[in-house]
Amino acid sequence: MAKNQRALRSAIALAGVSAFALTACTGPSGGGGTSTGGAGGGTITYGTTDKVVTLDPAGSYDAGSFMVMNQIYPFLMNSKPGSADAVPDIAESASFTTPTEYTVKLKPGLKFANGHALTSSDVKFSIDRVVKIADPNGPAALLSNLKSVAAKDDSTVVFTLKAGNDQVFPGVLAANSGPIVDEEVFPADKVLSDDEIVKGKPFAGPYTIESYKKNELVSLKANPDYQGLLGKPANDGATIKYYADSNNLKLDVQQGNIDVAGRSLTATDAADLEKDSKVKVHKGPGGELRYIVFNFDTMPFGAKTADADAKKALAVRQAMADIVDREAIATQVYKGTYLPAYSVVPDGFNGAIQPLKEMYGDGNGKPSLDKAKKALADAGVTGTVNIKLQYNPDHYGKSSGDEYAMIKEQLEKSGLFKVDLQSTEWVTYSKARTADAYPVYQLGWFPDYSDADNYLTPFFVPGNFLKNHYENSAVTELVTKQLTTVDKAEREKVLGEAQTAVAKDLSTLPLLQGAQLMVAGADVKGVDQTLDASFKTRLGVISK
Amino acid sequence: MTTLIEAPPSDADGLLPTKKKKSGGGLGQYLLIRFLLIFPTIFILVTMVFFLMRITGDPITAALGGRLPPDQLQERIHAAGYDRPLPVQYFEYLGQLVTGNFGTTLSDNRKVTEMLTTYGSATLELTINALIVALLVGIPFGMIAAHRRDHLPDAVLRVFAILCYATPVFFAGMLLKLTFAVWLGWLPVAGRAKTSSELALTGLQAPTGIYWLDALRSGNTAALGDVMAHAVLPALALGLLTAGIFLRLVRTNVIGTLGRDYIEAGRSRGVSEFRLVTKHAYKPALIPIITVMGLQIAVMLGGAVLTETTFEWKGLGFQLANYLTARDFVAVQGIVVLLAVIVAVTNFIVDIVAALIDPRVRY
Repeated sequence: MAKNQRALRSAIALAGVSAFALTACTGPSGGGGTSTGGAGGGTITYGTTDKVVTLDPAGSYDAGSFMVMNQIYPFLMNSKPGSADAVPDIAESASFTTPTEYTVKLKPGLKFANGHALTSSDVKFSIDRVVKIADPNGPAALLSNLKSVAAKDDSTVVFTLKAGNDQVFPGVLAANSGPIVDEEVFPADKVLSDDEIVKGKPFAGPYTIESYKKNELVSLKANPDYQGLLGKPANDGATIKYYADSNNLKLDVQQGNIDVAGRSLTATDAADLEKDSKVKVHKGPGGELRYIVFNFDTMPFGAKTADADAKKALAVRQAMADIVDREAIATQVYKGTYLPAYSVVPDGFNGAIQPLKEMYGDGNGKPSLDKAKKALADAGVTGTVNIKLQYNPDHYGKSSGDEYAMIKEQLEKSGLFKVDLQSTEWVTYSKARTADAYPVYQLGWFPDYSDADNYLTPFFVPGNFLKNHYENSAVTELVTKQLTTVDKAEREKVLGEAQTAVAKDLSTLPLLQGAQLMVAGADVKGVDQTLDASFKTRLGVISK
Repeated sequence: MTTLIEAPPSDADGLLPTKKKKSGGGLGQYLLIRFLLIFPTIFILVTMVFFLMRITGDPITAALGGRLPPDQLQERIHAAGYDRPLPVQYFEYLGQLVTGNFGTTLSDNRKVTEMLTTYGSATLELTINALIVALLVGIPFGMIAAHRRDHLPDAVLRVFAILCYATPVFFAGMLLKLTFAVWLGWLPVAGRAKTSSELALTGLQAPTGIYWLDALRSGNTAALGDVMAHAVLPALALGLLTAGIFLRLVRTNVIGTLGRDYIEAGRSRGVSEFRLVTKHAYKPALIPIITVMGLQIAVMLGGAVLTETTFEWKGLGFQLANYLTARDFVAVQGIVVLLAVIVAVTNFIVDIVAALIDPRVRY
């Protein structure tokens, strides 16, 4: 017995000493993760703080899930790296055959990684189930203009739309509602679990999933059967590593443990990493728009205030647009990771113009106190205007507080405004803003699909999600017109007119547009190719 | 938490006086009551978590409040059942729990039972590592402090012990991380293993999820070294918290034992002080360590939330922090129920051990 105890003690001691000896012999992790240097360019490791909600396209509508879907599922429509235009991906052709019928012809010989043929029946199944499941976290709302889908033959699909000539529909097929899945793997009426998806191998995109640990590690391998727009990946495979803290993401890319750090490094991280010669900071156009919303009922001189006066209310909005210094906020608060926004449609989208740049401030994007004074004086506004300005500290990033402190400072420095700055936690904030609780407040927007329309229809037509009591029939007409204008040049003209009309009314005051940011090792190539206005991370273009 | 239980000395080398048998009546009843107390403990915790989570708002508003018009948002809240009366939701939840149905997480659509299994093993690994640190640091240092009582080493070690259990675990974690990972670069910054090691270990047939065990089982020494390197800082951060308590406990008990008659008898026989400490006095001092170790599990699980978050150690604590942020009721409730069960069962085991070691606690 005593001998046994002694042996046990010795074993435990030996195990402990061995463990720590092993530890001592192991240096810091480094050296580039999983690179194999194969003929196809080895593998790359991509780090992100985004999360996967589900790999089932019917059950998620978020950046983290969509990022993985873009690697593994095929789309009828997609965009080439460097572009945001929706063009055929696994489709051979796609066009409106009548104003309400959008016909797509598939390429021949398409198949999933499990060997099942990919036919028009899978396409119909994929789209129908998104609508049928209508998961609370899913993208069903994007297909609101869809009446029905029909598989005419094995390679032909016809989408019948409720409203004709919907110029946004190709973009919708390239968005969260568009991944095509295998009808032999997915159920028609419920969301499939990630493990079952991985097991069923219903992949026909540029990559297949080799191993999967949800929100920890996803290992992808180039799919030799992919015949789509994106072509053969520049690497043999990719690993996606998930982080909770952007500091750890930053440190790991600096130490070479990952090749690329994607979303979401902070502005301070980016500024710091720009000084590090071992990594390179890549920037591209971003779709995020940060703006101030005016409640037309409750803002100073709003329709339901004691001193209601529409002309004075407009003058207040104009004066704010004249005074706010976007450049200062972008550089001082966000260290250049945001750019000044002079339109409700961010710069870089087809049809985007910058009407606020000329209309307000000094005409070149800088503030002008004289113009603000004139706007108020012309409308008969005397004395200091008291503004109750609300912002949210827990939904739009840690720097919202600094952003709105600067706006308060800029407005008050003019001597024209006295700002009562308040903040509210998100759950309360998002409900209170639509209950007219905030006269002037912060919001932000990420696009659902890469089209200028996504910055117009949700905001400026009656019943929009802002619920700020703004209505202008001329604006509504322009927004509706651009949506159905087939000619591209003509549509861009109408989009410009809509932006100008909205800029005159200033229902919202655009402040900043986000820049996409990735940080990669100095030897990593192709990152810039994927930083375009489609906002799709395409791992296939990255190599080293 | 510094419950100092002085255990009866062992009969090492025949130094002990003849033991008197104490009466052990009421053990069965004592244990039965202790066992039955597990259920109200868990029930109260589950109830509190259920209602407290709902004070902070629903997860659909948290996720989509800025993107959907109010009517659409309300539709989704209605479809998910979050607008129903709270008592209805509560009793429905209790009904599910009774049948062993923990549900599916709201924010990432995974079965709660699968999530608990996956991340439970990571937390178990961290707890084992931390316990090893606590034992390796606490016991020898406690014995040194007792041996060198009221001398400089004792004073230094007592200050060290106070620092260990007085320093907030997240602060200790950040300090260790900044020093050894960021500034010196000796150890990894975060995570449980390098990407290559994780891929190798997760690709195994039926892995346990405890990385060092999986690496040992597969004979992958490179992965084992990597996993151990990643384990050092989190284990130190969490383990030192308990090491301080162990150190004080061992010191106090060894000093107490050194005053016993049988030790005095040893001294009078010419046995050296060092030998008395290491051979005769430490064994009785270790028994209360076992008891306190059980109680420390609850402390460690609490500390694991902060340690796992600091080091991105993807265990239950890390997930709990994330699910709380996402207001994922289902996931948080599942994790809390599991943690409650672990703490309640551990305390029950501690009660059994305590009752067996010292019959006085039965009364």
